[in-house]
Amino acid sequence: MSDFASPEEYGLADLLCCAAAHEVQNNEVVFAGTGLPMVAIMLAQQTHAPNLKLIFEAGTLDGRPPEIPTSVGDARCEMGASRASGLFDAFSVAQRGYVDMGFLGGAEVDQYGNVNTTCIGDYLEPELRLTGSGGNPDINSFAKRTVFIMVHEKRRFVENVSYITSPGWRVKKWPGGELVHRRELYGAAYRGGPSAIISTLGVFRFDEQDGHMYLDTCHPGTTAEQIKEQCQFDLDISRVKGQTQVPTREELRLIHDVLDPDQIFIPKVKK
Amino acid sequence: MSNSKRITLQQTSEIIKDGSSLTFSGFTIWRRPMAIVYELIRQHRKHLHLIEVNGGSHTEFLVGAGCVDIWESCWVGHELYGKYGANLSRKVAEKKIIVEDYSHAEMLFRFVAAASGAPYAVTQTSLGTDIHNPEFDMLGRAGLRDGKRIAQHKYQFVDDPFYGAGAHVLVPAAKVDIAVLCVQQVGEEGTVRLNGQCYSDPEVARAADITIVMAEEIVPEEYLRRNADQNAIASFEVDYILECPFGAHPTGMFGRYDVDGSFLKDFYGATRTQEGFDEFAKEWIHGLDHVSYLEKLGWPKMLKLRANTAMNYCPREKKGGN
Repeated sequence: MSDFASPEEYGLADLLCCAAAHEVQNNEVVFAGTGLPMVAIMLAQQTHAPNLKLIFEAGTLDGRPPEIPTSVGDARCEMGASRASGLFDAFSVAQRGYVDMGFLGGAEVDQYGNVNTTCIGDYLEPELRLTGSGGNPDINSFAKRTVFIMVHEKRRFVENVSYITSPGWRVKKWPGGELVHRRELYGAAYRGGPSAIISTLGVFRFDEQDGHMYLDTCHPGTTAEQIKEQCQFDLDISRVKGQTQVPTREELRLIHDVLDPDQIFIPKVKK
Repeated sequence: MSNSKRITLQQTSEIIKDGSSLTFSGFTIWRRPMAIVYELIRQHRKHLHLIEVNGGSHTEFLVGAGCVDIWESCWVGHELYGKYGANLSRKVAEKKIIVEDYSHAEMLFRFVAAASGAPYAVTQTSLGTDIHNPEFDMLGRAGLRDGKRIAQHKYQFVDDPFYGAGAHVLVPAAKVDIAVLCVQQVGEEGTVRLNGQCYSDPEVARAADITIVMAEEIVPEEYLRRNADQNAIASFEVDYILECPFGAHPTGMFGRYDVDGSFLKDFYGATRTQEGFDEFAKEWIHGLDHVSYLEKLGWPKMLKLRANTAMNYCPREKKGGN
């Protein structure tokens, strides 16, 4: 019997972290980004997925850091790992097909799960240049599935992203740029694609056949209609299963007492 | 002239000339050759072409100082301490810099190709993205694709001719003049020992025509050659060496010191505008040398960053979080 926390005991970051942890299965090889996803993966490791394997993009394979790294290049990544080396190892094992899932982020997403982390506005005349791709498109091309964690605002859930940094389910076929299902482009290397988006309002999934996004669960305090209103495209809300599972007291204890006691990534709710 | 590979910090900015193409050791905010970056800014190096597996704080310093004309890479920011590269962003908006975007794996494989003497790499990453939008070939748009140091094409598509596995992308070898590395130890003859994750250092050192290695310490070659299996880069791949303790600050160095997060946060906060950057550079770069920079930083800060030698990082209970 799970001991679910009451609303005043957890914050939004706790909810997102636990929702992300629930996406991971035991025995999987997971490509970990920096920040909240790292806490989520280590939470999964401490709960239902003790045998998952972590890869840090900067060059650590099967990492078990005793203290949470602040970035994948961190000196903390190496201790306890099966192998610490470099980017060639991290990206070649990914391209080789070892990676089950990766956690990613983005500034904008469209209805097919195409994600932009490059620029806001026209690429040639940008309103704002962002960080750029990093490994986002690589992990999204190589992993069997990817999970995105994003701030939910209407300006971020858009009809068309300013720039497709990371490939979703329907992507551009060059030189013309018409949208095709990613299966057509990736051929023998097709392994899957984005499987969930965990936003600050709800959890979204994709229809693998036609590639469109649908709402799966609403976070406590939001309704499907409210979430649909916060998307520029016509969000499919016909398949909503109910509410996103809230954190248990044990999950909160692990997050705040064991994994991130210094609140580097996840602030503690003041009681 | 002697056989010695030793040079001074000042001499690095004579080897790195206006218009040179450069790449670096490290990863985002770890093991970046900051002392050399500061020297290049002091000497007002111009028209640099950076070709990087990934960018980081060092990129932001060079770009903010107006040293860079072209940046080919995939990412810039300060990780937890600054969410994007505000200086690059400003120069892009002002059209003062050409940015050529690749993905992270593409950049890595471009260096792997160059390091093995191959003209290009083949991969299956990033298909269907705007990274492969033919309209967004920025070096092509600028008329710079001469097929000499800058490839004739940004990328080419090819169908697997051997196993019929479908579309692949070819990306050109990264041809770069100088690799500037910042490492824990280098021997008198140039042998490099890296500790912790090696990032893409062995590849970038081999890819570049000239490799400069700045180390926390220069150690006897004989010491490194006792355990040659632990060395990452062979002596003859390195052209110049120099010793410069704390040379990566404010970025971190495995086993020696952590990232100076508060310094990077201050830099990120203060350099959103050009005036802000110029003020920061006036305070922390111009008129200083490496020793006076460390004096300004002060012993309390340096001790706070110092890694525990058993753990190779600075445990948070010592720091009280950061």
